[in-house]
Amino acid sequence: MLRLGLIIVALSVAPVATQAQSQKVGAPPETSNMRLVGYDELQGRSAYQPTIHRQGNRWIAYIGHHGGTDDIPTPVNPMTGKAEPNGTSIVDVTDPANPKYLRHLPGQPGTYEAGGAQMVRVCDGATLPRGDRSAVYLLRTFGGEAHEIWNVADPANPVLVTRLGGLKDTHKSWWECDTGIAYLVSGAPDWRTRRMTQVYDLGDPAQPVKIRDFGLPGQQPGATGTVPTELHGPISTGPQGNRVYFGYGTNKGGVLQIVDREKLLKGAKEPTPENLRAPVVGELLMSPWNGAHTTFPMLKMPVAEFAHDKDGATRDFVMIVDEAILNECQEARQMVWFADVSIENRPMVVSNWTVPEASGNFCQRGGRFGAHSSNESMAPVFYKKMVFIAFFNAGVRALDVRDPFQPKEVGHFIPAITDKTDKRCVKVDGKDRCRTAIQTNNVETDERGLIYIVDRANTGLHILEMTGEARKVAGLP
Amino acid sequence: MTPARRRTVIQALLAATLVAGLGVLAEIARKRVALGPTDGAGWRPIEWPFPRDGWPPGRAWRNRDGIEVYVRPKLGFCGNCDTGVVTDDEVDRVTDIDLLDERFAPVQEGRRIRITDLFGRARLYKFKTRLGNEEVAEGIAVAYKCDLIVALVAGDDVVDEAVRKRAHRFLESNTVQVWVNRQLEGR
Repeated sequence: MLRLGLIIVALSVAPVATQAQSQKVGAPPETSNMRLVGYDELQGRSAYQPTIHRQGNRWIAYIGHHGGTDDIPTPVNPMTGKAEPNGTSIVDVTDPANPKYLRHLPGQPGTYEAGGAQMVRVCDGATLPRGDRSAVYLLRTFGGEAHEIWNVADPANPVLVTRLGGLKDTHKSWWECDTGIAYLVSGAPDWRTRRMTQVYDLGDPAQPVKIRDFGLPGQQPGATGTVPTELHGPISTGPQGNRVYFGYGTNKGGVLQIVDREKLLKGAKEPTPENLRAPVVGELLMSPWNGAHTTFPMLKMPVAEFAHDKDGATRDFVMIVDEAILNECQEARQMVWFADVSIENRPMVVSNWTVPEASGNFCQRGGRFGAHSSNESMAPVFYKKMVFIAFFNAGVRALDVRDPFQPKEVGHFIPAITDKTDKRCVKVDGKDRCRTAIQTNNVETDERGLIYIVDRANTGLHILEMTGEARKVAGLP
Repeated sequence: MTPARRRTVIQALLAATLVAGLGVLAEIARKRVALGPTDGAGWRPIEWPFPRDGWPPGRAWRNRDGIEVYVRPKLGFCGNCDTGVVTDDEVDRVTDIDLLDERFAPVQEGRRIRITDLFGRARLYKFKTRLGNEEVAEGIAVAYKCDLIVALVAGDDVVDEAVRKRAHRFLESNTVQVWVNRQLEGR
C-alpha cells in the first residue's frame, strides 16, 4: 500500500517538476556566478562559433553560422532588406553592454549543416609573416565546399582575398597567426573520409601554398578496410610547443592524436600509412561512446597535490570535449575528459566532468543535452585557471581547472529563450513532439575577461562576465 | 563401493544430467521465444553476433539457405542530411562490414539501392572469416534524414544477385521494418 502511495505521489509530482524546468519566453536566465553584460540577436541565425579579435582600439566578434532552418532557410538581413543565406555575423563588441551589428556576410546556401559558414579564425596582417600589414584576415568556411579568406580591416566592409574550393566538406580549422600555418579541416575529394586535414602555408593569405594532406591511416586515397573516425578539429601550440593536438570524432569513437608539428610540416608528404604515422607521438583511443570534438592543451601545469613529489609535480594536460548530437539524451552522455599527456606516448584520462542531469531535468527540456565545445583562447586571463564549456540546453559552464585531476564547476549561465529560439522535435508515437530550449553551441573568451556564448537554436549572442567568488579563481578583481 | 551404493551414484548422475539437459533445452527455447518466430519466407531471428561497440546492438536473421542479415540504425550518423548516402566512400565508412573483418576490401563499385522508401547505396566486399576463408558480403546503407539504417547480407552465395534480392525483400518486410521504425521512434 505504501509503495502504491509513493508511486501515485511520484507520478503526480514528476510532470510538475519537468514543467517547472521548461524554458519560457520572458523568464529570467538561470545563473550562478555569471552575469549578462550585453546581447545581440544575430538576426535570428543559428550560430556555431564566435571568435573575438582586437583591431586597434576596437573589439570585433566574428560569429560563424550554420545554414538556415526548414522554416526560415534564408533569414532577412534587416540592414539590407534582403533574404540572405546564413554566413558570418560581424559585431562590434568594444562596448560589450551595447554591441553593434556591423555586417552579415552571406555563406553557402543550404539548411543546417548543409549551408552557412560555421567556422571563423582571425589573424592580423602585421602578425603573419608575409601578409599585408594593414590587413586583418578572416579565415572562414563556406559551407562544406570551400575555405575563404577575407580582409576585414574595415569589418563593416569585408573584401574577399582567397578561396580554396572543390571540397566535399569543411569544419573547425586552426590558423597559427605568427607563422601563417593553417590546419584546414577539409574533405579532399579523393580521401575516404568526410573530414581530414589539409596543411597550408597562409603566411601570405593572397598566395596560399599547400604543404600536405594528413589524417589517420586508413583514411587516405586507395586504402581499404575500416575507415577511421573523421577529424573534427586541431589545435596547434605553434613552433614553441611543436605539437598539434588533433581531435577526431563528435559523439563516437574519439581519438586524441598528438603530432610533432615539425615532422608534420617537413616530413614526407605522400599520404602513405607510414608517412601518416611518422609525425605521431601519441594517441589516446577513447570509448566508442564518446568523441573528441575539442582537444584543448593545458601544458606545464603545476599540480598542488603533487608539489612535494620527486617526479610528476608538473603535468601536461589536454582537455577533451565531446559533442552531443542527438536530442533529448538519445545517446551516451557526451562530456568533458581531462587527459594527462605528460608522457606523450601513454596518454591517460585522469578525470571527467559533466552537468548533473537531475540539476535541471535536462533530458526532458528539449534539444541536445551534453557538451559541445570549450573556449579556445589561451589569453592569460583564464588560461589554465578557468575553462568554459558550452553544454547545449544547460547553457555555459565555468570550470575551475587549476587542478585538472579535480575540475569543479564554479558558475553557469543558461540564457532565457526568446521568440526567435527555434524548436527541437522528436518523434513520439509517430508524431513530432517539439520543445523549445536554449542550445548553447560554442563559447569564446577575450583578453578582457568577457565570455561570449552563441546559440544553435537562433537565440543569438550573449556577452557575460564572472561574478562573486568565482572571479577569484581567475584572479579577477 | 557396494553395488547398492554404485547404483545410487549412477542414479544421481543420471538425474543430474537430465536436470542439466532440461535446463539447456529450456534456455534454448527461452532464447528462441525471446528472439521471435520464423517468418513465412523462412527467416529466423538469431542473436546479434558482434561484440559491443559504440552503436546499440542490432537485429540478425538467418534463412534456410544460410544467408544472414544484420540490421541496425545509426542515429545522427549521416554525413549529409540532405543528400543521404551517395558515394562508395560513405558506404565503406558507415556500414558494419568492419564487424566481419576490419581489413575488408570492396569487390566492385557500389550501386544505388532503395529499401522501402529509403534510398542509399549497396556495395560488395571481400572479407576473411576468423578461420581465414575468403567470403563476400554486401554492405547496405540507406538514409532517413540524418539517420542511417545499415545492413549486411552475408553467406555463401551473396555474389548471386538473386540471393541478394531475396535478402533485400526481407529487409522490406514487416518483420524488419516494424523493428526499424521502433528504433527510429524519438527521431
